[in-house]
Amino acid sequence: MIGKICGIIYVLSFLFGCLTGNIDQLGGAVIDGASNAVTLTLELMGMMCLWSGVMRVAEVSGVVEKMSKLMSPILRVLFPDACKKNNGLGEIAASISANVFGIGNAATPLAVCAMEKLQENNDNKDVASNDMIMFAVLGTASFDIFPTTLIALRRAVNSQNPFEIIVPVWICSFFTAAVGVLLVKGFCAFSRK
Amino acid sequence: MAVLSYIIVPLVMALIGLGMVFAKRDLFSVFSEGAKDGMKTAVKLLPTLVILLSAISMFNSSGAASALSSFLSPIGERMGIPSEIIPLILIRPLSGGASTALIADIFEKYGADSFIGRCTSVIAGSSDTLLYVISVYFGAVGVKKTRGSVPISFFVMVFCVFFALFLCRVMFV
Repeated sequence: MIGKICGIIYVLSFLFGCLTGNIDQLGGAVIDGASNAVTLTLELMGMMCLWSGVMRVAEVSGVVEKMSKLMSPILRVLFPDACKKNNGLGEIAASISANVFGIGNAATPLAVCAMEKLQENNDNKDVASNDMIMFAVLGTASFDIFPTTLIALRRAVNSQNPFEIIVPVWICSFFTAAVGVLLVKGFCAFSRK
Repeated sequence: MAVLSYIIVPLVMALIGLGMVFAKRDLFSVFSEGAKDGMKTAVKLLPTLVILLSAISMFNSSGAASALSSFLSPIGERMGIPSEIIPLILIRPLSGGASTALIADIFEKYGADSFIGRCTSVIAGSSDTLLYVISVYFGAVGVKKTRGSVPISFFVMVFCVFFALFLCRVMFV
């Protein structure tokens, strides 16, 4: 699916590049994108090493177990398979907390740790499991209690009240996540792997 | 709340430091074993990111976004979406950097406290770069068939846009 989307983007960009006369810039843009991917991977690598290490320590010291117990009433409904196999709930809990509290770039690495656990539970390694779809959809429905970048952008243009959007953002995030959960549940009920 | 997000990372590191000093178990090797795995995962991500980011960079400089938005804006207007935020809706799922630039641009033009500015804020605050998220999550573990993930999260994003517009109409009068 991601492959098809990237393909569509390549073709569309080429066509629009020809139409709008920006075709001369496309070659450079492709190269820039590729080298940006390396920079991003390097940045991500530091974060990934750090948080994978932290999670491993948390695992051997029993913190992961405690976190998964704490959040298990919600997680049991959302991730039945991980709950049954008792593997990955702690990582999911950690990743969701990092997302919600907007903790310094930890959300993506922790989410990858959680995905690795979900992959251990997965019978067919090429195909996403129901738990994975739930986790990915929740990951795309951002739920940030304090949207730092957004507030900074609003401050920068001298907003009367940069914080007034926080409550609507919470409400909107909550309902968006709820719709995501319902859709994934519905999808999984009708689609067999 | 903002204080909490500053303090958590140093606190976690300090707790691990305590463990390293006082625990019987060799937590240093546990930590570095985990870090080694993290490094392998990051390397595994690079090919996916090269494909994705080169595509998005090409898209951004082709002018496709502005051409597509002028094509889509009459349809959007009919559905109650102001034409000023259509480019944001197109870019938001693809690229975090480009959408931040676009948000700054919208604030600059229409003001952060206008209806457009508020809608932009709520949409940006409750949606994410979904294509990047899904590519990274599934790319890191080597899953090829993502099943419903992309269509579902896309639909969720569409819901988010309409719900954000609705909230702004109701809450800011």
